[in-house]
Amino acid sequence: MSLAEEYTETSDDSRLERGLAYVQRNSRAYLLIAPAAVFLLAVVGYPIIETFRLSLYQSPADSNIETFVGLQHYVEIFNSDIFYRLLWQTGRWVVAGVAGKTLLGLLIAVHLKGDIRGRKFFRTAFLIPWGIPYAISAVVFRWIEHPQFGYLNAILLKLGIIEQGIGILGNPSIAWLGVVVADIWIGTPFMAIIFLAGLQSIPQELYEAAAIDGAEKWHQFRYITLPQLKSVVLIATLLSTIWTFVSFDVIWTMTGGGPISSTATLVIHIYQVGLQNGNLGRGAAYSVIGFLFLFVFAIIYLRIYTRGGDEL
Amino acid sequence: MQPDNNDRSVEDSIDRRQLLQALGAGGAIAIAGCSGDGGSGSDGGDGDSGSGGDGGDGSTQSVQFLTMGVGDNIKQFFEENNAAFEDEHDVDVEFTSVTWDNARQTVNNRVDGGEAPDVSRWPARWIPQLVGKDALEPLDDMMDGEFGEQFYDGVAEGTMYNGSHYGVPWAASNKCLYYNKDVFETAGLDPEDPSLDSWQDMLDAATQIRDSDASVPALGLAGADAIETGSQYYHYHWSHGADLVDDEGMPVVNSSGAVDALSLYTDLHLEHNVTQSSPLSSTRQDIRQLFENGDLGMVIGHVYTGLNITAAKENGDVDFDYGIVQVPRGPEGRYSLFTIDTLAILSQSEHKDLARDLIRFYFDEERRFQYSKQKGFLPVVEAVGERSYFSESKNWGPFVEAGQYARARPKLGNFSEFNDRMVQAIQEALADRKSPQKALNDAQSDLEDAME
Repeated sequence: MSLAEEYTETSDDSRLERGLAYVQRNSRAYLLIAPAAVFLLAVVGYPIIETFRLSLYQSPADSNIETFVGLQHYVEIFNSDIFYRLLWQTGRWVVAGVAGKTLLGLLIAVHLKGDIRGRKFFRTAFLIPWGIPYAISAVVFRWIEHPQFGYLNAILLKLGIIEQGIGILGNPSIAWLGVVVADIWIGTPFMAIIFLAGLQSIPQELYEAAAIDGAEKWHQFRYITLPQLKSVVLIATLLSTIWTFVSFDVIWTMTGGGPISSTATLVIHIYQVGLQNGNLGRGAAYSVIGFLFLFVFAIIYLRIYTRGGDEL
Repeated sequence: MQPDNNDRSVEDSIDRRQLLQALGAGGAIAIAGCSGDGGSGSDGGDGDSGSGGDGGDGSTQSVQFLTMGVGDNIKQFFEENNAAFEDEHDVDVEFTSVTWDNARQTVNNRVDGGEAPDVSRWPARWIPQLVGKDALEPLDDMMDGEFGEQFYDGVAEGTMYNGSHYGVPWAASNKCLYYNKDVFETAGLDPEDPSLDSWQDMLDAATQIRDSDASVPALGLAGADAIETGSQYYHYHWSHGADLVDDEGMPVVNSSGAVDALSLYTDLHLEHNVTQSSPLSSTRQDIRQLFENGDLGMVIGHVYTGLNITAAKENGDVDFDYGIVQVPRGPEGRYSLFTIDTLAILSQSEHKDLARDLIRFYFDEERRFQYSKQKGFLPVVEAVGERSYFSESKNWGPFVEAGQYARARPKLGNFSEFNDRMVQAIQEALADRKSPQKALNDAQSDLEDAME
């Protein structure tokens, strides 16, 4: 045995021993978290495994018989045009929605941090949209944008800007914008509150020092506020991205994914394929793909933002 | 956890690995939740009792009765009659109502989970899917006997699949063409003799309304992403000699008649401009509501459109007169979409005799009369339909007459998918994205793939 092999073996042994010793030292802690770990395995692990298993089967909802098809669903999905259209529509929906919520949330938070009159009222008022069930808000926005019954068209008609009602949600080119507006309205309060909490944790002395050095407001925002908010922005946008990606209620309630599937995202399509049309195996395959997308996104996102050794 | 090398406190920092683990788990739950047990996004409040089939371990038996769409107008009817059945049979009726949006999912979840109700109401078009799961009890013993003779023949046939009855007809509906007499008068049309026999007649009248001083759209056209868009369009499709499937159940949606029908449907909006703005935003309910408000010249609607207007007029909410004529005929005839809901007994039921008793109870003639009268569905029992309340009514008469050319959608296991694809074709044509020929050709191709 060479010296190197001897060293490696010794090293492995000692690593194992060290590991066992560590477990022994912390056995009580492991025992205490065991129930929670078992519970998590049951409620988190099982659905994931079952979804993946289902994706390997032809599993019609109108039959109790499942047929193993291997990776056939995945091959068909990656070869279909609709998958790439869904990716584009999902990306558009997520990017526009998260960007809108982030920018508006930041704007609101910065203003609410200042000493403005009625600050308490506004802080409470801005939380209301987040407290309303998504489906209810979506119904309200559907009515607001309705060409015959909606406020938006009624106002535009009254002002003489249009001659007849515009069906935003019925126009395949712009329907997604009509839905994104509702999603931004619903999701902005969360971002605003998170950013506000982050802003309040920034030491005031930094601003005072910058002011003494002659920094303008914009420079203070650019060189103090934004860097200090980095970790908060990271967490908020990451969560918002995941929530927006898997968001179902708003789109389904407002458009059902239409017209001509122009507002359908991956999640809407999963519901349509798996549950409405009863193709559970194909729906599960889409679900696994969606999960992998999110997982990879989260890793890349965190790597980019933590580059340079920052810790969240 | 790594030592904190920032200004922030250790308590404020989150380890990157921990975050990734949490995200992985959370994302998976969210995604899996959408596929695993049925779209959490839309099943809230389905009212599913979720209790077992035997009704507990008490001495009183129970029977689970699942139905859909019990609104305020009929809630009391069920409350009173369920209580009467409970007294009569010394049982508990576990009555559950779900919204139509959640109905299919609720039924599938309960059947798949081994928690099926004993008796359930649903559209006859769901029968194939549920028979495919061995979820339904054949009811030939009831329908082939004296009990089955009380139904209209066409209605009773609507519950048949593969030669057996898998339900008892619970309710039926068909459609007629409503027109606003005030709008017709304003447009110089004769409100008492509107001459709306054919699609061309309807188009001529609509054009005259469009060009008149009437300040409302001439015709309501449904084009939204909803199942009812198909049901509004099929009148045009069938009347042009087109079909949806052939005798073998294979799609035949792009015949020349179908292209003519879809061309007419889209031209009403794109070329003739006689519809409300943006039909792609309008569900069937939207255009019905417009008509009921007096803001539309014509619409194809159910009997309850007339009942709603009558009630609104009595309350002073609206003030216009309306007429009802048969759905216009096309080159190959006249059809009115016929929808049948059935009452079925589930195979999983452990109380099938009690379930049969519940069904027989609800088919007492007077109960059927009260139900049809209050709910606004066509009577399925002949003796009820012959009552003067229906046969001599301004609102009901045309619909009873329409029964002779009523036509149901084909019974297909994947009808939902089929209809979705048809609605997409209608939308593609209505949005001027594709010609009717191209839209239907593409639909035919996709449907052939789906039904292989």
